[in-house]
Amino acid sequence: MSTGNTEQEIPLQHAEAHSNPASANAEPAEPVSPETSSAQPDVGAGVEAEAVADTRVFHTDDDAKDGLTKCERCGATEISLNIATGMLRCGFCRHEFSTQNAAEAFNLDTDIASLEGTLMGSGSSDIIPSAEEVLTFKCTACGAEVVIDTNNSTQARCHWCRNTLSMNQQVPNGAVPDMILPFSINKESAVERIAKFVGKRKFFAHPTFKSEFNPENVMGVYMPYMIVDVNAHARLSGEGEHQTRSYTVKVGDKEQRRYDADLYNVERDFDIHINDLSVESSSERLNQNTAENTNNIINTIMPFDVENSVRYDSNYLAGFTSERRDSNLDQLKPIAHTQAQDIARHRVNDTLKFYDRGVRWTNETVDVHGERWVSAYLPVWLYSYQQRKSNGSTFLHYVAVNARTGETMGSVPLNKGKLFLVSGIVQVVGMIVGTVLVVLGI
Amino acid sequence: MAIHDLFTILGTEVLAAGSSDDDSGLLGYVLFASGFVFYAYVFIRYRNTDKRHSHESETEASLANMKEKDEFVKARRGLTNRRLRGANNTAVHGALNKSTAGLLGNSTAGLLSKLRG
Repeated sequence: MSTGNTEQEIPLQHAEAHSNPASANAEPAEPVSPETSSAQPDVGAGVEAEAVADTRVFHTDDDAKDGLTKCERCGATEISLNIATGMLRCGFCRHEFSTQNAAEAFNLDTDIASLEGTLMGSGSSDIIPSAEEVLTFKCTACGAEVVIDTNNSTQARCHWCRNTLSMNQQVPNGAVPDMILPFSINKESAVERIAKFVGKRKFFAHPTFKSEFNPENVMGVYMPYMIVDVNAHARLSGEGEHQTRSYTVKVGDKEQRRYDADLYNVERDFDIHINDLSVESSSERLNQNTAENTNNIINTIMPFDVENSVRYDSNYLAGFTSERRDSNLDQLKPIAHTQAQDIARHRVNDTLKFYDRGVRWTNETVDVHGERWVSAYLPVWLYSYQQRKSNGSTFLHYVAVNARTGETMGSVPLNKGKLFLVSGIVQVVGMIVGTVLVVLGI
Repeated sequence: MAIHDLFTILGTEVLAAGSSDDDSGLLGYVLFASGFVFYAYVFIRYRNTDKRHSHESETEASLANMKEKDEFVKARRGLTNRRLRGANNTAVHGALNKSTAGLLGNSTAGLLSKLRG
């Protein structure tokens, strides 16, 4: 991120340093008037930054407004995503519009090599534990108080006048991200992909699952992620071997293979610029112990085309649910940095083709000079199935579809009795055939 | 995971147990474990416990200002291993799904834990 965008340098004290004091300090128990919100000082649409030490925050909700967000043509609040075009569409006059591309709006496409320190979007700021998750807004159309549970959405319909109220300003509870990537694969296509995926795994599937499986129950969910750009310097040193000869020797009455190789000391010293590394920012999704859950399924459908993300607007959530971010940078940085080191280790393999027997790195150093963090909602079609086991415990299986690329992955409950039986038959046949082959020395 | 990967891992273990680099009878030894291999293959195909986002290869990255140093040390003769012992240039440490990291690290631990589970 170019430092030219840094207009202010204000000490940052975690998320309390948002430029939007009314939003950050909002008392959720008190109705928050949209008029009050919109009356806040207009700091312009440009990217603005706050800094402390080497951390700077650029604001991504400066011109965002809470409350009724109306169609600019007819004034209706019935606005939702048209998946076919990727744009927001008014439900009454059919007017279509979209928010600005996030990369352009926040200068996210600037040279990664120029990144220094930590630069983060205001939607990525630390979550303050005391920040309420359920917020109350005052409907400006009728005066009623409307509650939004940010755990599942940032929108709610007024129960009196039926207008839709949106929450677009960031409060330090992780509900409003810096950007959002709209769904581009529709429900029908997702249902088809899930049915095809499960259809290939029916023979050993649990009978209860087979009888209850209904892909129509798929839900569109915006999952929280952090998108990270990293400017780092890496230095790896160790030993590599290049094979010079392969031959067989006689040991007793058997032949064994032997190898000759040249040993080298190897060093690689380079800069690495990582673009759009994606990390889950929901603590629940970060737990990917496959003995406990199937969160690895959702992890597998990455990556997303995050460069097509747009500025956040709650209307993109209409008809979908969302999962709130509940992890801060302190928790996510070690994961991102370890993954950055993995990327460096793998990318440098392009320079190691001579070492056909492999390289053993004994020293790896990756110094992160600069990084840019942006929070995002990314779209997933999710089919979930709660399996009830005979011991009374439950296990949640997912089949997930990346709602941008269509990549599909899933976990299908097994009929273990049937699988044990067939495996046993395979084992018996294998033992018989194997014994014959060993006797024949094949 | 393709079934030939499982065969490779399991075959390596069988050979290691026999303390022999002799290839004769390998297929027979592998068939001794065919039921376990079949169970693991179906388990992984249905549950996909080994799957994860391959951040190390699926994330866009560019290298710059590369400095390379390759210094010959010595020639080694009569080595029994096909690969450099302890080679870690394809290791992955940042995978959230650790069972995958185990498999990628050429360990049978992940596979065996699945078989036990």
